[in-house]
Amino acid sequence: MNIRKWAVSVLLMSYLGFLGWGIVGHALKIPAAGSALGYFVVWDMFCGWQAYDNRLHLIAEDSNGEYYRIREPWGAFQPFGHEDRLDYDVSNFLAPRHIQHVLEHSEHPPVDRVYVVQEVWGKQYNIPDVLWQKYYDEPKDKVSCFSLRAICTPDGAPIESNPDWFVAQELKSIADNPRLRQQAQSAMPYYNTFFSPLSANGSQMSAQTGGSPVLNTN
Amino acid sequence: MSSSESGPRAMIRSVHDFFFAEETPYGLALVRMLLPTAAMIPMVIRFFHVRELYSTDGTPQQLTEAFGHGQVLPVLSPLLATVVYGLMLFAMLSAVLGFRTRMSFLIGTPLYIYFNMLDAVGTMTKYSVIASHVLLLLTISPCGVVWSVDALLQRRRTGAGGPPLRVPVWSSRMIQILFAAIYFGAAITKVQTKAFFTGEQMRYWMVSNWNYPNFIGEYVAMLPVVLLVSGYLTVVWELSFAFLVWRRWGRFYALGFGAMFHILTNPLLGLRVFPLICLSSYCAFLSERDVLALRRLLPGRRQWRGLVRAPFLMTARLIERRPSNIPLPLLWSAVAAVVAVGAMEWDYQLDHYGIRGNGGPLPLQKMESVVARRMINSTTPIRERDKFFSFNIGSRVMAGQLVNRNREFEYGELLIAQCNLNTPHEDLWVECVVEDDEQRVLDVTGKFVTREQLYASFPYALNSRLLPGNYWMVLKSSGVEISRRQFSLGGDPAQACPTDSLMTN
Repeated sequence: MNIRKWAVSVLLMSYLGFLGWGIVGHALKIPAAGSALGYFVVWDMFCGWQAYDNRLHLIAEDSNGEYYRIREPWGAFQPFGHEDRLDYDVSNFLAPRHIQHVLEHSEHPPVDRVYVVQEVWGKQYNIPDVLWQKYYDEPKDKVSCFSLRAICTPDGAPIESNPDWFVAQELKSIADNPRLRQQAQSAMPYYNTFFSPLSANGSQMSAQTGGSPVLNTN
Repeated sequence: MSSSESGPRAMIRSVHDFFFAEETPYGLALVRMLLPTAAMIPMVIRFFHVRELYSTDGTPQQLTEAFGHGQVLPVLSPLLATVVYGLMLFAMLSAVLGFRTRMSFLIGTPLYIYFNMLDAVGTMTKYSVIASHVLLLLTISPCGVVWSVDALLQRRRTGAGGPPLRVPVWSSRMIQILFAAIYFGAAITKVQTKAFFTGEQMRYWMVSNWNYPNFIGEYVAMLPVVLLVSGYLTVVWELSFAFLVWRRWGRFYALGFGAMFHILTNPLLGLRVFPLICLSSYCAFLSERDVLALRRLLPGRRQWRGLVRAPFLMTARLIERRPSNIPLPLLWSAVAAVVAVGAMEWDYQLDHYGIRGNGGPLPLQKMESVVARRMINSTTPIRERDKFFSFNIGSRVMAGQLVNRNREFEYGELLIAQCNLNTPHEDLWVECVVEDDEQRVLDVTGKFVTREQLYASFPYALNSRLLPGNYWMVLKSSGVEISRRQFSLGGDPAQACPTDSLMTN
């Protein structure tokens, strides 16, 4: 084989290894595959969907108690359908930046604080009316739940934050058990800063190494 | 002895031939023309939002931030971002035409990946990942040696007729292997996804409004049997793809099913760009023989050929009219510079934030105080009825799911009432109550529905204890009525077994 073929063979093997790393890493839940590089070789296009739909609302309040919707007045970008880009931000990293960005580029009175509100509703209400009439006997009566996710300053810095509605629901569903609630109340988890095996062994180590005893910085 | 030696050698030879057999890369050329076109559809739409999505005057959110690595990529100023974005679009167009193909891909591909990684929220998706892989593979491939402006110019310059160039097929194979890996990985994800094989996950996706409209998908979402069967078929196809796509007859199944699958994701899931990316990459599976056979089958192929060749010929003729002392790379760079400057001017004229227009900057929309306060201060928990996706009665179950909806029953039949739940929900006490036409309670049955359960079934034997007539099956949760379904009982009471238990759950 000539050098060109060797080079191609090395390239092929490397590429196959890269693809294989993604599949094995994802299958075995190896943390290294859960990285930005891993994103390029993990094929989790169908990784689960919530039963509830949710949208994020940003509401600004000025000093007169007037409220404003923080939505791009020049037109929100809708990347994959008919929902705003902000609604695709599952990690909620974008919201603080979005608040600052829209307030900086729009006309409004001085804003005191911004409320980040999560709206949630069951996905059965997304079904078109014609299908609802066919499959449901009850009238279509969509009612959304609102949950205050955070309160921010006009520059997007959080003053107060609460858990995501889905996380809160799961926590509530577990805490709903009276036995667990009682055990959690009587339990007293703590981290011992008074004693650690390393500090107890400090003088011995110091004598062996000739150095100073290790300080416990807890 | 000789056979034991020839075994491994034969295997090495077949692997060698698999990657290094030579043929004219018509399939790759098709991928070169179609894939960047598909990948550029969303990027052209985003050209109107470069300042907002990818520049320091906007809100880019990098992919690396989502994984906790911080902002790794440099974010450009608005003008520079627009210039570079324009350059990317031009490079991709140039790659489609096959003009300075390698150079175009070398510039366009890294920029495509850069802009995608810069906006993890509104640009980067798995279809951009697939497109990035294929673009990188096209960059190192000889995809421009046929059906390209480069090939036309070369032929005109040298005056060579003869057969087209033949090259090793390894780059096509890499795209093929990529797709085998994608499907295998996707199958593993589905196997690991809770409630995939009972259809709930598919239903939730189909009734989500996160993609483009999908009315057929919304309709299919209400047909559990279709969801169940299609879920199994998809996983079987994805797992078998790698084992069949390189077989003589298996490839027709693997690619045919794949094409149908990707086309159906449009009406069922509302996907538009994803199927285009995948279907255009499928051209890498076309061998030289396939393309020649397809060409022969194409009706009116002379007209088609002329139509397809027209943009390539026109571009080649235009390029040939340049002064002879201007080399092609310089010409490419000059056109790219013009496009980049044009993009810069476009961004200025666009005035994306409306700052320079009349009355700019634009005002924020005011909200009614009552509405705003209700949203901010709301402590209302989710309604009991909203914890349930649906409630139906029928008589047939598949994989735990009720697959028929029925309102008329006969003696001796088993009525199955089933509710589908929305998660997360707490542990629930759910009851099914049988009432007669005058709302008198005849039977009550109940069960714990724990937090991980997505559905609960209540079988009810229709025995001779009931009289013919109309009844109601009422679903209650935590003592609250959720839903009710009317059913009628008819037939001969003698058909029912008199020893049937009242409630069979």
